Amino acid sequence: MRMSASDVKSRVLEIAREVAEAIKEGKFPELEYPPNTQRNIVFDERVGYIFKPTFYGKIKGSHSKSLRTLSGVLYGMSRALDHLENGLTMTKRDFYYLHKVERLKGTLFPEDQRETDARIILMELILGMPREAFSITSDPRGWIYGDIELIDRSGRVLKADQVGEMGYSVPPRPENIKFKRIGVKAVVAVEKVGPAKNMIELGIPEEKKIAIAILQGQASRSMRRFLRMLSDEGVPLAVLTDLSPWSLRIAATVIYNSINSAHIPHLAAPEARFIGILTRDVEDGFFKDYKFALEPLTQADYKAALDNKSLPNLQNEFWQKENDWFLQNKKKAELEIFKAMSPSAKTLKEYFIRYLSEKLEQHLGVSI
Amino acid sequence: MSERVKLEEISAADFFYRNRSLAGFDNPVRATYTIIRELVENSLDAVELAGRSPKVLIVMREEREGGEESLPWYRIRVADNGIGMDPEEIPLAFGRVFVSSKYRLIQSRGTFGLGGTMALLYGQITTNMPFKITSAREGEPAYELTMMIDIRKNEPIILDKKIRGISRRSFTIVESTFEGNYPRAKRKIIDYLQQTAIVVPYISIAFMDPEGRLYIFPRSTEKIPPRPKEALFHPKGVDLELLQRLLSSTRTKSLESFLTTHFQRVGKKTANEVLKIAGLPPDKRPSDLTDGDIRRLYEALRSYKEFLPPDPSVLSPLGEELFESGIKKELQPEFVKAIQRPPSVYEAHPFIVEVAIAYGGLIKPTGDIQLYRYANKIPLLYDASSDVSYQVIKRIDWSIYGIKNPEDEPIAFFVHIVSTKVPFKTVGKEFIANVPEVAREIELGLRGCARELRIYLGRKRRKEMLLKRYELFRMYYELISWTLEEIIGERPPIENLIERIKGSLGDEDERE
Repeated sequence: MRMSASDVKSRVLEIAREVAEAIKEGKFPELEYPPNTQRNIVFDERVGYIFKPTFYGKIKGSHSKSLRTLSGVLYGMSRALDHLENGLTMTKRDFYYLHKVERLKGTLFPEDQRETDARIILMELILGMPREAFSITSDPRGWIYGDIELIDRSGRVLKADQVGEMGYSVPPRPENIKFKRIGVKAVVAVEKVGPAKNMIELGIPEEKKIAIAILQGQASRSMRRFLRMLSDEGVPLAVLTDLSPWSLRIAATVIYNSINSAHIPHLAAPEARFIGILTRDVEDGFFKDYKFALEPLTQADYKAALDNKSLPNLQNEFWQKENDWFLQNKKKAELEIFKAMSPSAKTLKEYFIRYLSEKLEQHLGVSI
Repeated sequence: MSERVKLEEISAADFFYRNRSLAGFDNPVRATYTIIRELVENSLDAVELAGRSPKVLIVMREEREGGEESLPWYRIRVADNGIGMDPEEIPLAFGRVFVSSKYRLIQSRGTFGLGGTMALLYGQITTNMPFKITSAREGEPAYELTMMIDIRKNEPIILDKKIRGISRRSFTIVESTFEGNYPRAKRKIIDYLQQTAIVVPYISIAFMDPEGRLYIFPRSTEKIPPRPKEALFHPKGVDLELLQRLLSSTRTKSLESFLTTHFQRVGKKTANEVLKIAGLPPDKRPSDLTDGDIRRLYEALRSYKEFLPPDPSVLSPLGEELFESGIKKELQPEFVKAIQRPPSVYEAHPFIVEVAIAYGGLIKPTGDIQLYRYANKIPLLYDASSDVSYQVIKRIDWSIYGIKNPEDEPIAFFVHIVSTKVPFKTVGKEFIANVPEVAREIELGLRGCARELRIYLGRKRRKEMLLKRYELFRMYYELISWTLEEIIGERPPIENLIERIKGSLGDEDERE
């Protein structure tokens, strides 16, 4: 979904005029929008979360709490428009600081960033467009390393294995990227930076014709969008994370998107496959002799596992079985377990390759 | 009795001299306060009877400085424009300690003259100085008497008597010298005067203290509550001693007429029923009764159940309007409500409870319950926490009236009980006993006031909330208007909408 600056401007103007009109007539202004609650979100395993608004909420200028939200949204839009017109972008932190101004004392001056972050989501819902469209960008997070040639926003051709030791840094608005040539058999999205970097340092992408995408924790929106674009190009996509309650969510978010950003389309990559670490790898598979290297589940981990029981995108039998394992065993496995298997660099490469070969074959039918 | 007990006869004055702590003279601080209080109360009684722009003026000055070993002497002068006195009355009223006859039943501050005389006696004892009374009735000459009391004989000694010119108005001036301690009694005295000013808003009181400071408590109303009527005793309200006295002094010739003549609520039928219980013939002469007969009559009066409740017209409550007026005058509260409860009875003594609650104004939270107690228009200043009113306030859940904690809010409670016999717990007469009938009336009254307070506070808080809301809306709409100008280049005027919010002060928030 591409939005031009003029699309954004006309939508903001439309809303602002409506509010101004109501005020002039002495009426309390109202803004209608579809909230991103579960009522408006359906889950379909084949496509992930889908935002299907059937229920609309109102921000009412007659209600004192709602009035703060209304003025916050309008103020946010005025700043977004100002940035857009001047070719500036802002981060969420910038947006927060735009509220820490003299003139907003006693009104919108925020207590903390959570408040302004929540308002960004609200603006997305009201305007019906992702934040990047109105110049709010996430801090870029996520890299891809491998034999991929792409053309970025400025029109330059870049090779993702020749732009630094972690590869190409995925920009905040990947929509503008075009792929010139994809020379990899598969892309492996790795949760953790350490193991991913090791794979790159050991020359595995070159040797095995795969790309390593580095998520660095929960995948950013831009990273998910980028992975989806690769998936749309027909590249097999694998997700490799820790074996922990959080990592289940990380994997599921890449595959199905999340409730929080369900209203943003094209973030899910339902063709992607979760390749590990799986419980069976630990129980009687690849890591079965290394149970001693498992970590105990923390209290927060355990709570996350309990919460996972009700997450819509984790409802199928596979995810639930994986999740139940945490509740029963109160253990987790981290990707660093490869280091426990092989303290020496020589064998580490072997283990990585063996594991990836097995998994890509098994889950995606890709031989490397 | 196998042994004869030798009884030493002492005079009433001697008795009080020996037991002065009973009457509130146990130490110089307390005595200073008690002297002012007793003299002021005598004056209040006098001006209430006279009833024309009543005022009481107290001047107190240091007569002799205190030293290392000795306390200072003070000269006190209390003047009032009350009914005044005839010259023959003066020596008896002030120069002799006497147990006032209880042959009448009427609400009064105390036993007339007794406390006042004690005050003068204390002065005489501590300084050996005479006291001076100047008084006149309207249109008659004023007399100035310098006197002392012969403690042994309980008789006034007139040292000097001067006749002044014809006075156009009635007045009385009492002057006395005593050893005391004003600096330490000061707080209590000022409290006493202010609390008195609350309960007698129709009397002006002024006090010039030994430090040269003038305290004025002007009256706030011309209205004076009606004088209480005198009434006969209720048969349930007499004790054995009183019955004996009535029997010995009556002029009636038969027990039947004795009962109907000296008691209220007793007709022939009732008299005969009582006498039947006592086993006494109705025509027996009262003077012929033996001690046993008297006891049987007393017990019959006690046990008889059919008497109508006592006549409350002997009581002189302040009334809601005057009570509120006094409180407003001294404390300027933002809210005050007084309630007079209907007359009630405990142990055959009629009583009326008047209560009030005041909020805000000069009343500030103190961390303590602010309770003003009165008995027959006298403020009670000691032992508040032992008083029935304090206990009643403590057991009420104030949160249901919008008061989280009465100790931490600007709230004051007022309880006035008027009765022919106030149920004081101790001789000191500083706090009222927890008599269930009295407690009940206090509680009902306070709850009545509290209900009004809740309504007042509810309205006030709601108004404040709406005002806050209005301010909030104005601020946000000014911001919105500015923001819209940033977006569309034009600033929508917000006056229409703001007017609407102003107009809707009182409407509920529209809920989502």
